[in-house]
Amino acid sequence: MDRLPDSSSPACPVAAPTWHAELHLGFAHRAGRTVLRENRHRGPLRVQKALYPEGDGVCQALLLHPPSGIAGGDHLAIDIAVDDNSHAQITTPGAGKWYRSGGAAASQTVTLNVAAGATLEWLPQESIVFDGAIARMDTHVTLAADSRYLGWDILCLGRAAAGERFDHGRFDLHCRIERAGKPLWIERGSVAGGDAMLHSPAGWAGATVCGTLLCSFPELPQQAAALLEALRTLTPGDGARHGITAPPGLLIARYLGDNSEAARLWFAELWKILRPACCGRPAVLPRIWNT
Amino acid sequence: MRILSSSLQLARLLQLASPALPVGAYTYSQGLEWAVESGVIRDEASAGCWIADLLAHGIGRYEAPLLVALMAAWTGGNRSEIARLNGEFLASRESAELRAETVQMGFSLHRLVRDLRDPALADVEATLAGLGEIAFPTGWAGIAAAWQIVPEAALTAYLWAWAENQVMAALKAVPLGQASGQRLLAELGGRIPAVAAAALTLPESQWSNFTPAFAIACARHETQYSRLFRS
Repeated sequence: MDRLPDSSSPACPVAAPTWHAELHLGFAHRAGRTVLRENRHRGPLRVQKALYPEGDGVCQALLLHPPSGIAGGDHLAIDIAVDDNSHAQITTPGAGKWYRSGGAAASQTVTLNVAAGATLEWLPQESIVFDGAIARMDTHVTLAADSRYLGWDILCLGRAAAGERFDHGRFDLHCRIERAGKPLWIERGSVAGGDAMLHSPAGWAGATVCGTLLCSFPELPQQAAALLEALRTLTPGDGARHGITAPPGLLIARYLGDNSEAARLWFAELWKILRPACCGRPAVLPRIWNT
Repeated sequence: MRILSSSLQLARLLQLASPALPVGAYTYSQGLEWAVESGVIRDEASAGCWIADLLAHGIGRYEAPLLVALMAAWTGGNRSEIARLNGEFLASRESAELRAETVQMGFSLHRLVRDLRDPALADVEATLAGLGEIAFPTGWAGIAAAWQIVPEAALTAYLWAWAENQVMAALKAVPLGQASGQRLLAELGGRIPAVAAAALTLPESQWSNFTPAFAIACARHETQYSRLFRS
């Protein structure tokens, strides 16, 4: 879907009208079923319907962003509440795109609240930050003492297939997970286009795709050693740099390479092992991943 | 509070930044040993590049400004801020070994605070005792603040001690000779003032610990077949 025509300024892709889009989702557990109790949006950000590809227990939501990309000046807020004992799985039908900015910053704030006994799977497709984008990405996950979380993010810098590098613009990233009011995981980056860190052997090492999978559930400390052993037998198909580690209460897998599909396929293989442990369910691949 | 003379402050700072500080820093390489194993570090030049890049993009942009914020919190007696920053640092550690490292060194530092029997450290001891797991920079900043060391000097010494430990790890792991080590330290030492100056004023919204190849090196070190170091 195209962006709306701009009535106030001449047509120009970098000065298009800006969106302040919001999406509020609420999931609740009712009589053995996870229902989408709230689905409210403002602007072009929505979930069309609740899906049940594996029965009543898990509610799957496909997050749609019709303009297909985020331009300078756009602000997206995604707020998801997963109430007590419910289980939500969120994915996206395609890559998120952060377009080159004409000067204005764009932002996306993702707030995920997972209540007592609840489970959230956050499995979006990759985000592509175009050269010249000015992007701010905030993801805040709040877990109760016994909630379960399995999520990933795949960040691509520049449209590598077109030979584009992230040489201009900047991105600021802040990802944090808190459990029972205490920080469990914090990653923050503040990176300018062409930043020396992107080429440093200790930074991005010249790679263009960085993926991070994070998983946390109450029984993880007892299972971490066995899970690590099983997960470490799997490697990304493209031979990219990767590592898996488990600090207390958290499991982290990282991909650093040049192929977002290889990152996603590797994460999906890890997810097949992690899902039964974290969510108590066999891994049923979302059909959207096959398209 | 008794004001310490500047030469006494310097003596205290040298003690705090010395490799003789009994916290076991020399047993950790922070992913450097994996960088050697994987061929990223193979000689003096590549070791210098790895350490200098971490100084600029890793420790210099997260741990360094956090240490400055911690010293301000200790100086102001702000216990809730000390606890908050301590929690932030623990959650920012990229791998199980890095997290275990800072908790072990923080534990050893807390024990040292008791063993020193310095009345000036009584408040530090009490605050650390209430924290649960203590991150190394949390304890270190507490002692530095109690000993009235100015933040710029404290941060310079902290970064120096880190760089020295990294170079010593490279000497063992690559291996490199003593002359190489001194050249590396001279080069890194020359970079510290600018890194420290930037960290002194870097707002928390611009702190950055996003160095994924370093994080992967630290994770891979956990399964490295033959190793000298604990991280």
